[in-house]
Amino acid sequence: MPLDFNQVGQQIKQMGGDLRQTANHHDQLVAHAWAKLEEQSPRWEHWARHAEDNYLRSPWLLAAPAEPIINRYQLPKFPPNYCLAAVDGSQIDLDRHWAVECYLINLGLVTIQYGQQPYSKLHSVPALHYNDQELLLRDKDGRSYKMAGALVHAERDTREGIALARLAQEILEQSTTPLVAMQDGTLIRWSLSGLDPWVRAHFLQRYLDEGLAALRAADVPTCSYISHPKAPEVTGIARLIVNPTLNNTSKAEGLVDPYPGINDTKLFGNGWLGDGERSALFKSLSKINVEEYRDHAIYFFYLNVGAELARIEMPEWVAQRPEWVDLIHAVAYDQAHRGGGYPVALARAHEQAVVRESDRRVFRQMIEQALWHARLNNGSSLKQDAKAQVRV
Amino acid sequence: MIEQRIGEVIEASSTQWTTGAYELLNAPPFGSLIKAGCYDNDLCIYGLVYDIRTGSRDLGGKAMVRGGRRYDGSEFYDGQIYSEHPDLAAVLQTEWSALVIGYERAGRIIHYLPPQPPTVHYSVHLCDDDTVERFTQHCDFFRMVLHANLPIADELLGTAIRHAAALQANRREYELYAGRELARLLRDDYDRLRVLVRMLTS
Repeated sequence: MPLDFNQVGQQIKQMGGDLRQTANHHDQLVAHAWAKLEEQSPRWEHWARHAEDNYLRSPWLLAAPAEPIINRYQLPKFPPNYCLAAVDGSQIDLDRHWAVECYLINLGLVTIQYGQQPYSKLHSVPALHYNDQELLLRDKDGRSYKMAGALVHAERDTREGIALARLAQEILEQSTTPLVAMQDGTLIRWSLSGLDPWVRAHFLQRYLDEGLAALRAADVPTCSYISHPKAPEVTGIARLIVNPTLNNTSKAEGLVDPYPGINDTKLFGNGWLGDGERSALFKSLSKINVEEYRDHAIYFFYLNVGAELARIEMPEWVAQRPEWVDLIHAVAYDQAHRGGGYPVALARAHEQAVVRESDRRVFRQMIEQALWHARLNNGSSLKQDAKAQVRV
Repeated sequence: MIEQRIGEVIEASSTQWTTGAYELLNAPPFGSLIKAGCYDNDLCIYGLVYDIRTGSRDLGGKAMVRGGRRYDGSEFYDGQIYSEHPDLAAVLQTEWSALVIGYERAGRIIHYLPPQPPTVHYSVHLCDDDTVERFTQHCDFFRMVLHANLPIADELLGTAIRHAAALQANRREYELYAGRELARLLRDDYDRLRVLVRMLTS
């Protein structure tokens, strides 16, 4: 039975009208929020302190401004030569229906050099994990955690950070061209927040020590690029300005959100930033960032790349060097333009890393063949077999 | 003279194969004689290059327009596009088809289809002048090109004969020899013959 487009069409028309009304309302809220932020911008240090004092009590995510909130920066002069290291990853998760328990992490690594000596190197590094030590994490009390789902994802994130540091070190051994290391998505490991503290530390410490700390030791400007960000942290400052007495309010009582439905993309995307301009720098006050990132605490700015608003994140030791912030600003914009709206190096890294459905099928067949050759029982579940083919 | 390794077999059948170039945009000219290896080490397969193309390595990928004005006001076109986008060398691939016109076993050249096709991932070499001269001494491969059911078969054969004639000590004599062979093969198709002869004499 095909979709009844007559009925759906009417509903879509209704949705369009409703969204227009919501957008008009949002425009008013954004204008109000900017009025508050502009008024309080000279007191940015006060609001930074206030936000840092209250990030745990606030029902809204907050950021601490690192400079006057309304600061904006034009696109800096573009570096004539630069090299970019980028990493992305994907995984084939452990599937209990398979004949053997294993998971695979595939990292896409990209080096692209621009300028007088253009050069590129694209490759991927797959790693299969199947032995007990790799499939079970054990804490010091002997509790074990199965590497599946969120933990495989966390391992992939950790590996991406470490691989980026190693790639940057390799490049520096061969080239003196200014280097920027870039990752896709956020540098803040939100996904670890909900995990057991020991598990969180297991992944985060490796990520910080072998990833960000190694990049810092190698003196590499490091950042990440978030396309179409949904974060509400700068809007959180406006919320805090409207409700400065969070101190006396518990989360349970709840506060009326003065800017419902507004996030930072709506705040900065509303013509506030011109093409190529970036916002002021802010420090993210997400709990994991404040409490566990130590001297790698993540800062960010918003950048209008023309086609969209992007959020650029960087560790504190990058944010403290204005010449690096300028370099990252220019490189992120240049990359987005070369890539038709999204950084070309990240797109290439994704292409290298992605595991398509056809790859998954071949991977499974290879495993089954290997088991057969090893004269091991190919005990994949019958449910899995039933799902793999339609019996008629 | 060492024959140049230019790519490797990425698809093969008994009658034709596809070569992926080692270097982007670096394909031998249309009609060139090339040879491909086979897992049977005694065997090497000869073919004529046609249908040279460059596109995305990724299935379904499509090249997009990249030249024009940059955000800093400068303009870039043609070769500058490759300098501005060094990653293109890694995501584009040049490849070409080759029509199988014979093979060589134990030093003997045979103008028939080989017992095995070239082996996928084996090297492809551009034949040097000596090999071209040796392979084209006899015209038996003409028949395989004319009967290949390729829309560009006549163009391909005409180009190959011209390459071969240019290497012969007595070019005129070779052209006459080739012309007689073509007249024999195309005795029932005067229009095709006339076009081919005109290609050889122009």
